[in-house]
Amino acid sequence: MRAQETGEAIVESLEQEIKELIIDVLVLEDVTPGDIEPEAALFVEGLGLDSIDALELAMALEERYGVQIGDDPDQNRKIFASVRDLAAFVGASRV
Amino acid sequence: MDPNSGNLISFLQLQSVSAASDAPLAFGSRGDRCRADFARDVARMAAAVASVGRGRWLVDTADRYLAAVGLFALAESGSVAVLPSAGPADPQAAWGADAVGLLAESESSETPLVATALAGSAGAPIESGDRRGRPWVEFRTSGTSGAGQPVVKAVRHLEDEVRILEARLGRGLPATTRIFATAAHRHIYGLLFGVLWPLASGRAFQRDILLHARELLPRLEECAASVLVTTPVHLKRMAESANLEALRGRCLRVFSSGGPLDEAVAHEVADRLGCAPFEIFGSTETGGVAIRCRREGGGANASGEATQEEWEPMPEVLVRVVAPDGRAEVTSPFVSTGERQSDGRTCTVMGDRIEMRPGGRFVLLGRADRVVKIAEKRLSLPEMERTLCGHPFVAEASLLVREIARESRVHAVVALSGAGREEFVREGSRCCRGALVAHLAKRYDRVFLPRAWRFVAALPRDGQDKIPQAALRALFDAPSASDRSSSPRTLGEKRSEEMFERRLDVPADLVHGAGHFPGNPLVPGVVQLDWALRAAGDWLATPLVLIGLKGLKYPEPLVPGGRVTLRLERGVASTAIRFRLFDGERVHLDGRAEFAVDRDLRSGE
Repeated sequence: MRAQETGEAIVESLEQEIKELIIDVLVLEDVTPGDIEPEAALFVEGLGLDSIDALELAMALEERYGVQIGDDPDQNRKIFASVRDLAAFVGASRV
Repeated sequence: MDPNSGNLISFLQLQSVSAASDAPLAFGSRGDRCRADFARDVARMAAAVASVGRGRWLVDTADRYLAAVGLFALAESGSVAVLPSAGPADPQAAWGADAVGLLAESESSETPLVATALAGSAGAPIESGDRRGRPWVEFRTSGTSGAGQPVVKAVRHLEDEVRILEARLGRGLPATTRIFATAAHRHIYGLLFGVLWPLASGRAFQRDILLHARELLPRLEECAASVLVTTPVHLKRMAESANLEALRGRCLRVFSSGGPLDEAVAHEVADRLGCAPFEIFGSTETGGVAIRCRREGGGANASGEATQEEWEPMPEVLVRVVAPDGRAEVTSPFVSTGERQSDGRTCTVMGDRIEMRPGGRFVLLGRADRVVKIAEKRLSLPEMERTLCGHPFVAEASLLVREIARESRVHAVVALSGAGREEFVREGSRCCRGALVAHLAKRYDRVFLPRAWRFVAALPRDGQDKIPQAALRALFDAPSASDRSSSPRTLGEKRSEEMFERRLDVPADLVHGAGHFPGNPLVPGVVQLDWALRAAGDWLATPLVLIGLKGLKYPEPLVPGGRVTLRLERGVASTAIRFRLFDGERVHLDGRAEFAVDRDLRSGE
């Protein structure tokens, strides 16, 4: 139970960090981390990011967390679907 | 087929000539295909198309191989392949109004492309009996707005361009070269370079559209001879993140089109990859116009070679500069929109201004018509401004382009209407912005939507009633209006009929200073101006609309952390207010403002 709670706290703080990274890197105006739903779509609907943002965000994640975005486009679409998916990917693959 | 023979087989005979061939034609995650596969798939698809009818057909697939199958099957029946533009919410409604059918991907591996009948009228007449003269592919000009303008290419336009591409840019590429592209085939550049040229020259092309360097790199590394067809946005990211050295001697040629390639990126790619990228300049209407290839140390020299910034017209393309605004006039066999000449070539005037150089070369001077490029797609700013003004919240709008996260992005300055101001006061700027973004998203690609918004009482205008770009830009140097923690503290006020004076304490950590010259914060001029204009409203106790500014000067920079005096004066018979912001002898802001009383707001009170 305790371990699970700690795990949840880590996931939450990682989600928070990724929200801040998105706002920071993409210079989103008038958007606070609280405005971004962890499960909402990042692209098109939801936050409304576009293809240029996708490239920039991928680079920022690689730089910040040392993670490697893979070579499978379908997999990448899933990873970039939402903040929750991004956090799961970063949490699982960072060193 | 020997690509060096200079005898390219024409498109429509392609499948019959090479039907027996097992040479690779396309490769990718959905499987490799050879020429025999292609001939079989085209024949099968052509039968399905014939059963529905001839006319305009929508081709909607992200798979380059399937797109090629669709295009050739449609050519068999004399139909026109309509390629979608990027973006609008309901593409089919936008581009398919009178289409007879749709070719779209399916889950089935047996029939990966499916022909569906649509409501349009079948059997549209073919304009010309001559095979080369038949209309074949309909593009949409890249995204200016909504559905975009259709541009129809006849078989001969694309055939001729492919022939010239091979002659000018295909030299020395082995037949085993594989063509990788990040450019989508719904644009003419992506279709020509990523599909049609490879098909006609016997080189295999990649089916998938891969955008991330991480997806593309391993596939390029596996390949002994490759060509990369890309755009400035992608090439810049690749130069930053990819191990280009690993591709030395393997990636034999790099093409970039859609917008100007950053010179530093061009040099870096040339240096690390061992081959300098070829940039292609052109448009949907003109096809390819000119090329250039910049490498470090290149420059003007006595032998008349091209300098770094000069473009060299492609073979058979004539470029001239025309009065009155110095735009490029292009005549070539593959210009499809414009005046047909007696020699069969077509002549058209582009939106780009140029300056001619020796040897028929030229340099680009920029657009003549406030058309900008965002992520390699064209956007007409005046048109988007008109769209914005169609929303009930907007009285006036002016758009500009600034960089955010190293890419050009649209920024909007909006003067709100009466209804807009009511909404702004009641719900705030985010709500106004949300409504306007949703309004634009109905017609525009997402990459065009303004990323930063400023709402003002009136657009800034100079004495000639022009909107000064510098004043618009300055609005974005300050944080957005929703930030209320940025006002100076009022220490005291004096007022009379003719004069108003306000003593201000400017906090050292004023938010406006953040990011405005790191380590050396200054209060932006537009913020000082905002203080003055607000004070005018407070003094006269009535809603004011700024009509004009005159004699605006910022003699001394204002550093946050200190006290200043703001003084307003007005003449008895004048509607103008003189304003000055000063600290003893040091004057930070000086100018005159013309106001009108805002009747809308007054009546709303």
